[in-house]
Amino acid sequence: MNASQTDLAIAVRGVTKKYGDFTAVDNLSFEVRRGEIFAMLGPNGAGKTTTIRMILDILKPDAGHIEVLGGPITEATKARIGYLPEERGLYHNVRVLDMLVYLGQLKGLSGAEARARALSLLEHVGLAENARSKVKELSKGMQQKVQVIATILHRPDLIIIDEPFSGLDPVNTEMVKDLLYEMNREGVTIIMSTHQMHQIEEMANRLLMINRGHAVLYGDVHEVRQRFAKNAVIVEGEGDWAALPGVVVVEAGENGRDVLLRLAEDVTPDNVMAALATSPAYRIQRFELAVPSLNEIFIEVVGGVRANGSFGG
Amino acid sequence: MLSRKVWLVTRREYVYNFRRPSFLFTAFGVPLITLLAMVVVVWITAERETSLDNFQRVGYIDRAMIINPAVANPAGYFPISDPTVPMPVETSRGKLIGEYFDGLEEFARQQLQNGELDAYFVIPQNYLFSGRIDVYMRRNMPEALRSGIENFMRAQIASRAPDTLPVPVKRLGALEFVIRDEETGEELSEAAILGRFILPFLLVMIYFMSTSTTAQFLMSGVVEEKENRLMEILATSARPAELLWGKLLGLGALSLTQVLLWAAAALVIRQIYQDARAFFSGVEFDPTHLLLIGVLFLINFVLFAATMLGIGAAVTAEAESRQIAGFFTFLSVLPIMFVGTFFNNPDGALPVFFSFFPLTAAVGLTLRLGLLGGVPAWQIALSLALQVVAVLAVMWLVVQVFRLGMLMYGKPLTPRTLWRALRQGSVTLTTAPADAPIAITGRRKGLFRR
Repeated sequence: MNASQTDLAIAVRGVTKKYGDFTAVDNLSFEVRRGEIFAMLGPNGAGKTTTIRMILDILKPDAGHIEVLGGPITEATKARIGYLPEERGLYHNVRVLDMLVYLGQLKGLSGAEARARALSLLEHVGLAENARSKVKELSKGMQQKVQVIATILHRPDLIIIDEPFSGLDPVNTEMVKDLLYEMNREGVTIIMSTHQMHQIEEMANRLLMINRGHAVLYGDVHEVRQRFAKNAVIVEGEGDWAALPGVVVVEAGENGRDVLLRLAEDVTPDNVMAALATSPAYRIQRFELAVPSLNEIFIEVVGGVRANGSFGG
Repeated sequence: MLSRKVWLVTRREYVYNFRRPSFLFTAFGVPLITLLAMVVVVWITAERETSLDNFQRVGYIDRAMIINPAVANPAGYFPISDPTVPMPVETSRGKLIGEYFDGLEEFARQQLQNGELDAYFVIPQNYLFSGRIDVYMRRNMPEALRSGIENFMRAQIASRAPDTLPVPVKRLGALEFVIRDEETGEELSEAAILGRFILPFLLVMIYFMSTSTTAQFLMSGVVEEKENRLMEILATSARPAELLWGKLLGLGALSLTQVLLWAAAALVIRQIYQDARAFFSGVEFDPTHLLLIGVLFLINFVLFAATMLGIGAAVTAEAESRQIAGFFTFLSVLPIMFVGTFFNNPDGALPVFFSFFPLTAAVGLTLRLGLLGGVPAWQIALSLALQVVAVLAVMWLVVQVFRLGMLMYGKPLTPRTLWRALRQGSVTLTTAPADAPIAITGRRKGLFRR
């Protein structure tokens, strides 16, 4: 699991942050590798934003140690980071281009560089004509794209983006997603914090799930899903599912078409597939392993934690 | 040396706020309106000054005894003569002659008051040396009367010079008129007198207008950045102190721009409007005092602006910030509210107190310097020391408030929170999310978001 120090974009080691008597982050450790898309997820109040703020040196941890892009964070490191907070905003009364140039310059770009790059990115996302409009004249979706541009304008090595797709329609979601993929292909590490599990499933290489300040899931997205896979299959078709050898429980799916077949401990999905293939009593339209979605894992993990209270703050 | 980021923030704040309609109106509109008003006043005055209807009977008293009876008086001009006062003979002693003219002046004064005279002028005994004429009237002196008296005097001098009177050539040029109080005889330049009282007050008002505009921008700018959540992005781009100084310098420069624009307008007005010259000459600050006033206003601006910045960083909504700012503005305008005490006794307890209290010291000292012409050095030194200490303390506190409050959305920074953080010594951009402890109790779950 551990990568060498030079391969790490972020190393968080035993970090704790308290607000008075409340422990927002409790002895949290994780790593983000260079060039990966890393997802942070967790319920509201889990400690995601506090963790991000500590990574960005907006907040100081009470205990523990954080390294960003190869060392403790400095002003120079900050210039290599693009950050888009969840509750984001813009100067409303300012022209789009002027604002982007200002924010770009604060990140170390020259005026001309910031201007050229902002115009190119605005054109890329279809906002070239709005460069001289005031921000308040833009629609919410357009503003969202401008915010994403402000985050990536200075070609950061690390992008930390909170809920990148909130407020975007499907077309713009794809556009922003492509932009992030493009940055990632160029070697930029991306950390995204989101509630949209399907986006994590699609985009992220690895994930960290936090609940009440603790890491409750951490690792490769695919591995995590496999870890939560039940010994069950989902089928759609016709036949007496309960009569199949090895099936112990049959649960009707919520959509009324598919069913979940829970299998006996010594039976594998392959056994069931072989049985179905050889029996003329069944017609199969769909057969797949019952790997839970991240959403289900999230609900299971967070719900379980809440139920047994094992992760009290 | 200014760091690049401080310069960037300074420039951004300056340019952005310069373009605000409210700034453009205050900076350009106010001087423009004043100029227009002056032009109208000059025009009305010029209209009025061509008329001599109100000056049909103008008397004169010749204390210098240079009037040549052979020269005909212009229409409406006549020497004052009191039939009850006997004219002294030529050999009379100086004292007797003086008493005679005093009697004539008293007589003329009564006639002026009774309305039998519209104006009278006295040619003083030392006229040949001073070239001054004392004019007494109950109205403003019209330009036509001025030139009428000048023509009268030129005709008189020309009739005698150069044979019998050693009149310098320059006497044939413009005369110097001294308008005197009809009761006390004191020299009276209305505009100058007005300037003497109004100028320090005006200076202070201009300062207030410019600082209150810019301090308001400063505060609303921070509140906007907090409300728009831009602060978090800015916090990852620049240090809080860089943002703070950038904002202070940018808006300080804006304030200075405003004052310079008004000063330029004042110079223009001074050029085109004669009375304005007298008005501005009413107060003569020496260069040391001007420098002192500059320093005082600079310190006061930093103090006031930093306070506003702190308020902006501590609150969550603009309306709230205005309420708190109102309290500090109220404190700083106290000298204006009690300006009467300055006019009554500039060395009184209240004016002296205002000279020491840091928020009011600049205004208090300026008013007293203008009215007294000087303030004890120890008071100036103590006042400056108190202000510098206050600026250092407030700046330190504001940096803490700025760091602590800049990320607190939806929850104002209370003095209690600030005090606790300062005592713990943990003000390193550390702030509890608005509702962390509340989430534990579960009472206001909706607020628990991060």
